[in-house]
Amino acid sequence: MSVPLKLIYNEDPTKNIGSEVRKNIVRPIVTYNNISKSYGDLQVLKNIDLEIAPGEKVALIGPSGSGKTTLARLLMTLEEPTSGTIEVEGEMLWHQRVNDKLIKANEKHLHQVRGNIGMVFQHFNLFPHMTILRNVMEAPRNVLGLSKDEAKERAVKMLEQVGLSSKIDAYPAQLSGGQKQRVAIARALVMRPKVMLFDEPTSALDPELVGEVLEVIKAIASEGEMAMLLITHEMDFAKDVADRILFFDQGKIIEQGPPKKIFNNPESERLQTFLSRFNRH
Amino acid sequence: MWFDILPSFWEGTKITIELTLFSAVIAFFLAFAAGFGRLSKFRAVRLLAATYVEVFRGTSLFVQLFWIYFALPLFGIMLPKMVAGVLALSLNAGAYGSEIVRSTLISVPKGQSEAAIALNMTPWQRTRLVILPQALVMMLPAFGNLIIELLKGTALVSLITLSDLTFVATVLNSSIMRPTEIFSVLLIIYFVISLPFTKGIQWIEHRLSAGRY
Ligand SMILES: Nc1ncnc2c1ncn2[C@@H]1O[C@H](COP(=O)(O)OP(=O)(O)O)[C@@H](O)[C@H]1O
Ligand SMILES: [Mg+2]
Repeated sequence: MSVPLKLIYNEDPTKNIGSEVRKNIVRPIVTYNNISKSYGDLQVLKNIDLEIAPGEKVALIGPSGSGKTTLARLLMTLEEPTSGTIEVEGEMLWHQRVNDKLIKANEKHLHQVRGNIGMVFQHFNLFPHMTILRNVMEAPRNVLGLSKDEAKERAVKMLEQVGLSSKIDAYPAQLSGGQKQRVAIARALVMRPKVMLFDEPTSALDPELVGEVLEVIKAIASEGEMAMLLITHEMDFAKDVADRILFFDQGKIIEQGPPKKIFNNPESERLQTFLSRFNRH
Repeated sequence: MWFDILPSFWEGTKITIELTLFSAVIAFFLAFAAGFGRLSKFRAVRLLAATYVEVFRGTSLFVQLFWIYFALPLFGIMLPKMVAGVLALSLNAGAYGSEIVRSTLISVPKGQSEAAIALNMTPWQRTRLVILPQALVMMLPAFGNLIIELLKGTALVSLITLSDLTFVATVLNSSIMRPTEIFSVLLIIYFVISLPFTKGIQWIEHRLSAGRY
């Protein structure tokens, strides 16, 4: 495992700065350090450096196949980086330090760091054999170790928040796509992650169901403290919700900035071409 | 009339049912052990499970039974007929059953374990709470068939002179020579024994999948 030296020593990059200054520097909640990912000969992510601040809402846009999903899956520990490191709250995700050496993280370490991250999938991935309530309360009960009553109370509150308290005893198969995705959002939120990943949460929905899901996500975003990485093709939504937009193409961040700048003054030709496809209709 | 011969079948019927029940229970455990074993992250465990499964699927129940009953004593292991019969039947059915377990476990969509990982479940929690309950529903029909196969397979133990249904029927036939009646009765008894198994599995299947899909 070769890791650039600077990464090993950047535990506290503000070490040499006066304490007054240090207080004003926010430590990123997520840092991608020189991350690459290949599947065989296909390099999907190319030396990505990215920092996400606590509470920051980052929208990730770009053509399909550009590596957006892969970027999120690495952070959710569903896919392992080929090289580079990821840090969550200053703690290595895929690596752990033993006697000053970086080694591959074991399941225990992954478990400990992964608890900060939550994810909503394009195809919901609800558990079909559980009622809606159990879908949402199973992890608080078993992973967070809450009592049955506490877990249930938390889950019910969460389901109320996404407008589904009447469906508590239904099974996923009995819900519409929009309702399923709202349950999936509740299921992820109930764990109170510090970072939430949304991978095209409305792409699998019928057009008339997109709105209800985007509304729920907007409401969550407005509450503030949770950082969000939103992969989406809904440009108006991205403009509304995001503090920063990343334009991704061929495994690289091509351009990034505040929504206004990205949508009104795109610099790169690729971004201009990409956006023109959305403005046509 | 044919029902004068019925009482002679009673003891044999008991033996056949016992053989089926004992073997089914042991086969069930073997199937899970070997099915999970083949998916283990440890190579040695995978190899052990694969060897067991391939050996017992690659040879016939008949040969396995004879080997356990007639060859093992050469190594100093003498088993009572009933034990030898149950052992052969359960090892054989367990090997086939492990394929059912393995294939249904891996057929649960990948998104399910990914969602479980995203909720930070431990590997065992993913299996217990998410994968296994879904795999079980898919396993049931195949397990139902396996038990019926097991029941039919018990007839082979008559070859090591264990007095099961088939053994009783052949002995009875050689003394009173009424093959039509004797083997018709035999057929009907096997069918009647199979009914509760078939119905039982259907009932569990129905219970487990209620309301879900
Ligand atoms: N498990 C995999 N094996 C091989 N190739 C993959 C795998 N996952 C993704 N890819 C490839 O990686 C590229 C980027 O995929 P993805 O991250 O899903 O892009 P996006 O989400 O931007 O559409 C695509 O070319 C895709 O085919
Ligand atoms: Mg994608």
